[in-house]
Amino acid sequence: MTDLNVKKEYLNLVYTDCGKVSAGEKIKKLLAVPGTQYLIFGVILGVFPLLAQLGALTSSFVFAVGNTMIYAIMAIGFCLLMGYSGLASLGTAGFVGIGAYIAYYFMQVYGAPFGIAFIVTVMISLFSGVLVGFISLRIEGIYLAILTLGLSEILRNTFISLKSSIKLDMSKVRLFGVKIGEEQVYLLILALFVLLLFITSNLIRSPIGRALLSVKNSTSAAQAMGINLMKYRVLAFVISTVYAAIAGLMYMMLLRNMTTSTSTLLSMATSLNILGAVVIGGAKSLWGTTFGVFIIYGLQSTLLSKIPFFVENPAFITMITGLLIILIVMFFPGGIAQMMGNLMQKRKTAKFVANTQRRMDGYGQN
Amino acid sequence: MARTDRAYRKMMRRKTMLCAEKDYRDILLRDCQEQARKKTDAYRTQLMRELYTAHPDWIPAEEAGKIVFDSRMAQFDADMAFVRKQASTRAAKAISKDPACAEREEEKLQQLQKEHEELRNQYSCRLQREISAQLTDMPGDGAEREAAVSDIERKVDAFRAEQEKAAQKQMETIRQAEDSKIRKLSDALEKLQLAPADRPGLPEGVVLRVQDLCMYFGGVHAVDGLSFDVKKGEIFGLIGPNGAGKTTVFNCITQFYKPTSGTLLFENKAGEVISLPEEKVHDVVLQGIVRTFQNVEVIREVSVLDNLLIAGHRQFTAGILSQALHLPTLKKQERIIREKALRVLEFMGLTEYRDWYAAGLPYGILKKIEIARTLMCDPQLIILDEPAAGLNDTETLELAELIRRIRDTMGCTILLVEHDMGLVMNICQTVCAISFGKLLAIGTPEEIQKDPQVQKAYLGESDEEVEK
Repeated sequence: MTDLNVKKEYLNLVYTDCGKVSAGEKIKKLLAVPGTQYLIFGVILGVFPLLAQLGALTSSFVFAVGNTMIYAIMAIGFCLLMGYSGLASLGTAGFVGIGAYIAYYFMQVYGAPFGIAFIVTVMISLFSGVLVGFISLRIEGIYLAILTLGLSEILRNTFISLKSSIKLDMSKVRLFGVKIGEEQVYLLILALFVLLLFITSNLIRSPIGRALLSVKNSTSAAQAMGINLMKYRVLAFVISTVYAAIAGLMYMMLLRNMTTSTSTLLSMATSLNILGAVVIGGAKSLWGTTFGVFIIYGLQSTLLSKIPFFVENPAFITMITGLLIILIVMFFPGGIAQMMGNLMQKRKTAKFVANTQRRMDGYGQN
Repeated sequence: MARTDRAYRKMMRRKTMLCAEKDYRDILLRDCQEQARKKTDAYRTQLMRELYTAHPDWIPAEEAGKIVFDSRMAQFDADMAFVRKQASTRAAKAISKDPACAEREEEKLQQLQKEHEELRNQYSCRLQREISAQLTDMPGDGAEREAAVSDIERKVDAFRAEQEKAAQKQMETIRQAEDSKIRKLSDALEKLQLAPADRPGLPEGVVLRVQDLCMYFGGVHAVDGLSFDVKKGEIFGLIGPNGAGKTTVFNCITQFYKPTSGTLLFENKAGEVISLPEEKVHDVVLQGIVRTFQNVEVIREVSVLDNLLIAGHRQFTAGILSQALHLPTLKKQERIIREKALRVLEFMGLTEYRDWYAAGLPYGILKKIEIARTLMCDPQLIILDEPAAGLNDTETLELAELIRRIRDTMGCTILLVEHDMGLVMNICQTVCAISFGKLLAIGTPEEIQKDPQVQKAYLGESDEEVEK
């Protein structure tokens, strides 16, 4: 036996815990905290505009990332709604419109600073979320999806008749008295995105998240444990509504103008894409959802927009999303998050088997 | 009754907070001691390690040899078990594909087992030899070593005393701070004492009164004019043939159904008498009634521990802001309720399943989780809907023991529906038999067994009577 050193092994077996934690372990522990992960993610995305200034990235790429983050904000709200409370709503687009029109009316028409517009967005979407929630959450499943879809169309048509084309002049918008340029908008979106990721992950890991899961799994058990079904369903719905409205607000600031009747943002495609992103990414995982959004919108803006066929027929892009959904649901019902989990598990098992095998070989030797 | 509703909620909230504060104080105190102990252990380990690294020949040869041998052999056994398990899985797969090769595979497995035993003998001999070869040059105990070790022990003792003193000091400050908080809370609670309520319709010692309860679904009279009293601290059994309306009675008591008519009086945790139909279904638990379900309703997507935390949901008072940002208020409450859940898990003997997902667990464990969940709610009355369904005889006996233990340690009343007559007759003080929503008989188990009407309901009328 070549590897036997009794003295060393004895020391390691009996006297190991000196109460000191090595730096590597400390870092590992810190990285396991979701907050740290989101911060790192935010820093990575935050470097993009800097790289664009240096010429390493094109500014259209940075714009596309900013756009994708807006969709990701909608998606994490939807993730909470679908993955945790089990409600499928197709009304995301309508509530995005609320945010966009508030951005127009408050910042362009009334000349309010960003802070006021933000607060108004949150308040109005909160109010409308509660109102719609109390009416529509008495039904479940496919009926809820149909109802919210109809509601979203009603909102869209209302917006069109209100003003079919809106435009935001960013030179008028102020944040704490400072003008907001293109880069600042990007950073603002990023900050909001990371903050909302952090808040959502906290909610998921607190009594609210557990209550939502119990409502989704067994309504009778939830009620017996003192959980008010309506309260938590409405809460989840309101959270997703507020996130969608915030996304709408930021969308207007990034794109600056929108022709409501032709824009895809307020159409059903947005709601479906968000649903697709959450299904592809994994409805119970925030990282998966974020990843799903980046796949769907990243694919559209970087790859598919370069193929002439899809440029001519943009409706076919949705088919690619549909194909992805079918494939994922067939092979990994838990989405990309489940796929990654399986992969990690497999790697762990393989490592364990290899270690065992190595030791097994040692036993036979003389 | 609505008059005290608000005051009751406030009081229960305060009471929960008071209990939580007390628990939290204990947790903090225990943490102090734990930390001091850990620090001392770490200090000792460090000193000994330094000593033995400086003088490797002082290591006690016999002890070292034994420990290293044991650890290596344990590793060996684990590895072999893993390999055998893999082989047996492979064999099972091959057999399921081609049943003809069952014998051959079986033989192969036995061969492997034999090989492993042989290898184990060889390996242990070789290991023993090599270990003793390595340890020959050790002089073992010398006066010098003794002195060094005793010196370390002295140092450790001094360190321990120091740590303990610091911990005591810390504990004292914690105790003072927490005690003042607790005193304030209990003072506030005393002021909140509800006006001594007259007890309308509930005699002393009765915790639940069901009177003329009717539940109609259209033309179906599921429960029809049922009345019974449940006394405090007893185990009350509700029996009846299939479709007699037992579960409907439970659903009426817990407000899953709103009864068509009738009174349901209950003495809640504050000693008030309330009318249950005025409560909302999710507020019943606050009054002290918790139930389990006939077809186990465990949250399958989360771990067993999380299931218990869900049951403690109403004990969280942290608002949405502190939940969104994980403020200290929430962390503190989370800690308190987690400790409580761990205590309940230990009481139920479920500690080993703590981190398992409920989805893959066997039926008996799921049933236990459901009962554990009721204990998280500090119940006054536990309602068990067919707790023994799907359990085998040993498990049923265990369950009977458990139900008695819960009644005795938690001081609560238990109301159960059961088909297993053995269990009912074994543990219940009072049994109530119903059929088609109507009361047949109520009394001690012996009386019920002898009751002709009950016999008729269960066994049917005898042939002669039918012929007439």
